[in-house]
Amino acid sequence: MSDVKEVMKRYFLDLDAASRDPRRLVAWCTSVGPAEILRAMDFEVFFPENHGAMLGASRMSGETIPAANALGYSPDICSYLTSDVGACMKGVTPLTKAYGIKNVPRPDVLVYNTNQCKDVMHWFEFYSRKFNVPLIGIHSPNHLSNVEKWHIDDVVAQFKNLIARLEALARKKMDVEKLKHTVALSKKATDLWNEVLLTGAHKPSPLNFFDSTVFMGPIVVLRGTEEAVTFYKHLLKDMKERIKAGVASVHGEMKRIYWDGMPVWGRLRNLSELFQRHRACVVASTYCNSWIFSAFDATDPLASMAKAYLEIFINRNDSFKEKYISKTIKEFAIDGVIFHESKTCPNNTNSQYNLPGRLRGNGIPSVVINGDLCDLRCFSDEQATNLIEAFLEMI
Amino acid sequence: MAAKTKRKHYWGVDCGSSEIKVVSCDQSGKIISKTKQKTLFPLIEHVKRALSDSPFESDDLTVRNGHVITVTGYGRNHLNFASHRLTEIKAHHIGVRHQTDVSGTFTIIDIGGQDSKVIQADDDEIRSFVMNRKCAAGTGAYIEELAHRLEISLEAMSGLQKKHDKDLVLNSYCTVFAGQEVIKILMQGEKVENLIHALYMSVVKRVLEMTVISSDKVVFSGGVMNYHPALLKIFRKQLPGKKIILAKDAQYCGAIGAALYGLMHGDSV
Repeated sequence: MSDVKEVMKRYFLDLDAASRDPRRLVAWCTSVGPAEILRAMDFEVFFPENHGAMLGASRMSGETIPAANALGYSPDICSYLTSDVGACMKGVTPLTKAYGIKNVPRPDVLVYNTNQCKDVMHWFEFYSRKFNVPLIGIHSPNHLSNVEKWHIDDVVAQFKNLIARLEALARKKMDVEKLKHTVALSKKATDLWNEVLLTGAHKPSPLNFFDSTVFMGPIVVLRGTEEAVTFYKHLLKDMKERIKAGVASVHGEMKRIYWDGMPVWGRLRNLSELFQRHRACVVASTYCNSWIFSAFDATDPLASMAKAYLEIFINRNDSFKEKYISKTIKEFAIDGVIFHESKTCPNNTNSQYNLPGRLRGNGIPSVVINGDLCDLRCFSDEQATNLIEAFLEMI
Repeated sequence: MAAKTKRKHYWGVDCGSSEIKVVSCDQSGKIISKTKQKTLFPLIEHVKRALSDSPFESDDLTVRNGHVITVTGYGRNHLNFASHRLTEIKAHHIGVRHQTDVSGTFTIIDIGGQDSKVIQADDDEIRSFVMNRKCAAGTGAYIEELAHRLEISLEAMSGLQKKHDKDLVLNSYCTVFAGQEVIKILMQGEKVENLIHALYMSVVKRVLEMTVISSDKVVFSGGVMNYHPALLKIFRKQLPGKKIILAKDAQYCGAIGAALYGLMHGDSV
């Protein structure tokens, strides 16, 4: 039985224990940052984006974003950033209600990768100033058509620099065999996660996007661990059993939808229920697929990590994205695409350069809804419901 | 539009942000009645009042006596007595098809109280649609707010617009900022007539920038077109070469579409 809540609880409680143990070092890392390097160096890893998502899902963001805005962080920038920085300012965290944890763990080092956006750099700079701890950035080549060798070489060189700085901080050398093992575990977990998501191609789908945003927790925060591998083995088994038993995620599934862009964390349940009512299942998404790192290879850990983290959807150009979405639509027999135009996350919004229009030209219907990942000031329930219902009527 | 089941009357309720429109039709699709009243709250009480001429008792709106109620508009999900619900997109498409002889490929522009929609359709099928973004630009709310600022009745606006002699521009998407622009322009001594023209031009621009209109025929529906005939003239100028059609009973297109949807689907849910 796969119990994501239990897995996440153990992760956070262990992290909390680590933060109070002077022998254990804590690194903060971006969600598609080089977690394997950190774990191989025995850092406990905390992911502020995951914390941002929790602030959004718990709707605490409504209280914390204004605090960051008041400090001088614009309402127009990443609302993960403003949610999280605001939570820091106010001294609150959703971990308290969920797990009885008073504070997020204090970092010993901050590591970001700009493969997703540059906001993460500004975000971690805030914490570097606040906690007076080292800040190490991987500055990835962005918006790639193809990932070339020179892109990989560039990032590998930066990984080597990162390792040297972490070695100085941890006062020990990187164990290459341990890194290989960690990458092997990440590869196993991500392959299993991919298989879980592919079960959505079955008709009816055994899972939907809204559940997957919860199931993806371990692939975000526990890459490179046995726990993640074990969890996804169980989850895959559960999904296969659901398929075998004919259990549909959406009862009487009639329409199959692709969700592009960020989740609206504070409205997951409402949106899930809206689709359920219309017997529509969101069977695939750009967002959940973003933690599939097929390139991981334990025999060449640094180069394969560089490739895997450069290859991610968000770091590609529009031509790649169009092909990727078109291919997924065929594989999952999708009837239409919902583009979430997220006000504060332009990097993970793909509707602004006429991709919906180009897909429509290829016979793929779509609708664009305006909203945000965490900032519900940018989301109109009525407007979004109207658009989604009209779209489901149309397709 | 053959009825699946034969019923006496089919009621369409368009619960909009400004007004509740109620239409009934018979089994042949002939419109029997049309009424409207201001949207007030509690919503259900006012919808009941709007339906007071119907054969339903005010405290019991369950479907009976062979009558079917279909609801559309923003309030549709709050009216639990309805046999059917549908979005305004679909309702206006059905309503426009009934209220005009338009066929083939055409575009519907529905300017409503709180949103505007551009619907591209082929006969009985909606091909795509877009709605205004979150703000009120390009909607009736934008016009109402600025009319309030100018202390001019909605009914008088089109008449005043005819007297404009200058093209001014209101830039802002934001209704509040547009209000500030209005004050600034008035302080500069400009005529109200020119401001009203600028206001209408702004609405037209906001609508036309929502999507590319490729069809030759454009049908207008929605209450705003009824209150502001000047808008139609401006759209006609801005869409040269296209056949511009104002749906008969433009304000009732959504309610008519809802009533006809009920006729098509009977009391099956």
